[in-house]
Amino acid sequence: MKTDRDSMLDRIRDSLRSAHLPSANDSIPPRTWPAPQLDSAALADSFAREASTLGVNVHRPSSRDEAIETVLTLLREIGANNILAWGDDDLCLPEVGKAIRAAEIRIVDPNVSPDSTIRREQLSQLGGPLAGVTGALAGLADTGTLALLTGPTQSRLASLLPPTHIALLSISHLYPDMASFFVAHPDAARNGSNLVFVTGPSRTGDIELTLTVGVHGPKTIHIILIDAQNNR
Amino acid sequence: MSSPFHSRVAGALVDDNLHIALNRVTSRFTTLRLNALASLPHADSVRDRARAIRAHTLSRLDIYLAQFADSVEAAGGRVHWAADAHAANRIVAEIAKAARARTVVKGKSMVSEETHLNPALEAEGITVVESDLGEYIIQLAGETPSHIIAPAVHKTKEQVGQLFHEKLGIPLTHDPALLTAAARAKLREVFLTADMGISGVNFGVAETGTICIVTNEGNGRLTTSTPRVHVAMMGIERLVPTLDDLSAMLQVLARSATGQKLSVYTSLITGPRRRRPSKQSEGGPGEPDGPDELHVVLVDNGRSRVLGTRLAEILYCIRCGACLNICPVYQQIGGHAYGSVYPGPVGAVLTPALEGVEPWPELPQASTLCGACRDVCPVRIDIPRMLLELRDAGHRAGQTPAWLKLFLPLYQLAATQPALFNFGAAAARWITRALSSNGWLKRLPPPLSGWTDHRDFPAFAAQPFSAQFKNHHKGAKTQRNTKDSS
Repeated sequence: MKTDRDSMLDRIRDSLRSAHLPSANDSIPPRTWPAPQLDSAALADSFAREASTLGVNVHRPSSRDEAIETVLTLLREIGANNILAWGDDDLCLPEVGKAIRAAEIRIVDPNVSPDSTIRREQLSQLGGPLAGVTGALAGLADTGTLALLTGPTQSRLASLLPPTHIALLSISHLYPDMASFFVAHPDAARNGSNLVFVTGPSRTGDIELTLTVGVHGPKTIHIILIDAQNNR
Repeated sequence: MSSPFHSRVAGALVDDNLHIALNRVTSRFTTLRLNALASLPHADSVRDRARAIRAHTLSRLDIYLAQFADSVEAAGGRVHWAADAHAANRIVAEIAKAARARTVVKGKSMVSEETHLNPALEAEGITVVESDLGEYIIQLAGETPSHIIAPAVHKTKEQVGQLFHEKLGIPLTHDPALLTAAARAKLREVFLTADMGISGVNFGVAETGTICIVTNEGNGRLTTSTPRVHVAMMGIERLVPTLDDLSAMLQVLARSATGQKLSVYTSLITGPRRRRPSKQSEGGPGEPDGPDELHVVLVDNGRSRVLGTRLAEILYCIRCGACLNICPVYQQIGGHAYGSVYPGPVGAVLTPALEGVEPWPELPQASTLCGACRDVCPVRIDIPRMLLELRDAGHRAGQTPAWLKLFLPLYQLAATQPALFNFGAAAARWITRALSSNGWLKRLPPPLSGWTDHRDFPAFAAQPFSAQFKNHHKGAKTQRNTKDSS
């Protein structure tokens, strides 16, 4: 007996014999325009400008210590006693995690169970923290976008549930646009179950297109741009 | 003249709230889109290439769909093949039952509107909560979406305030920020407790088995992250071959839809969360959160048939909604008057293409054929061409009214005989000018009253076009000769 899959594919093949598909070619034409060429300073400037336009707070500390201090100051201002965070090694600056714990801010266990009942309990706990601190796989300079990939200590919810998201991003991980990002990271989508591009704070225009910020995701985003040159 | 379609249109034309809302929104969307495209380098070439990607993908849809399904399964997801709406709803209901799901949270999905999924799940005793703010509003109001990307576009903020006051028991307010906050609080509870999440899919990537979901609010991320089971419903045409092709489509999608360079959350989902091994020996480390099951439901529901027709080009559509905002007909009547799940110019082609012309005789007529939809379409779909194909099909199916059938041969006779044409034009000129006041006619007899019921009709010009053209041409010739000699 034919499977549902075979029946559907057969119907498609039948139709393709008589399909009228204007502009269809045997292959997809390559881009006829040059890829943008920007040095790292220009990338950082473009990224900061685009992200700021969207209402993201971009910080450009001049040293490693200043970067750590910026994170701690932000957490203190929010009054966050417990937070969601990625693992130390995925925070761009591993010392950040250490500094957070030293400041007696608790990092909540991000693991949720496959068991529905336990999961519900855990999720209600995870809904509490006021801030999430993450690193970032990359940044896209033309749109001010963060690329976040899930992994063993990289949770989805750290950049999603808390009202404030603080992301640390190395300027050596900036790309001109999404196409050049995929060239550098061809396996990014396969390496984790969720690769998300975040472009500005959560927003809606569903009531008369009035821009309202902070719907289901974070209302406030801080991006700390880390320049390896300054990190000695 | 009093079909359900005509009475819906008549109702829409006198609905003042609808006109306030439509006016605020369509003009804003149109401006935002123009600005966004201006910020895109090589915009015309990018659009040509986006069109080429969609056309190429559909020309090998069998290959890419099989590749996509294999890749989803290789990443640990399950693929279900739904031939029609009924099969799609049954599959989703069965997944829900197997997961013992009582509450389901839903992200925005036009294909689930198309299959009427919500009533099908509710009939099984499952509570469905829409999580997109626009969808949530119309679910509370018991309505259907009136726009592809802004489902509650037909409501003013005053109407939403009244609705939330009645249904959610919050103090009466018209402030969109307060109304949004109320919805956020209500929905957060649902997100943290729902047993299953259902989403649509913007694009599927064949090479990796990735599904891409684009949202601004974050409801799409939550729907696909907090519940234990994620079900993604996807029309079989929504594929691109590679991640690079996906990046090309994303360059035009948000710009055409909301005028953003990129939507806030572009989620690429490849399989369920990576499993935490029970023993050290089993694979690498897992992921802390995300769904434990991912189901992709591939919905045909007429698409494979449309692929074999002269309407196949409508399957290039990426559901940005730009054609709705620019359409002079949509701007006047809004989405509900069309009566179909997909409104506006794209719906006027897609609906009869999927369901046949018989139930939808008026949709291909609900257009002035001005071509604005084709101009704004990010993948340059020739909607007017297909509207004409459908009008032709409707004529062949005997949908042309008797008076028009009588009139057309007469017109054909006159139009092919200049003397007769000039005589007819002179008669019309004389009659309309005699009956008009200030150059306008307020009332005409049926069937022409269809025009004058809603607007005045201009009297014919004192001098026919052919005479004006002759004079103008003479003048232009003289001018050109002078120029050439200088």
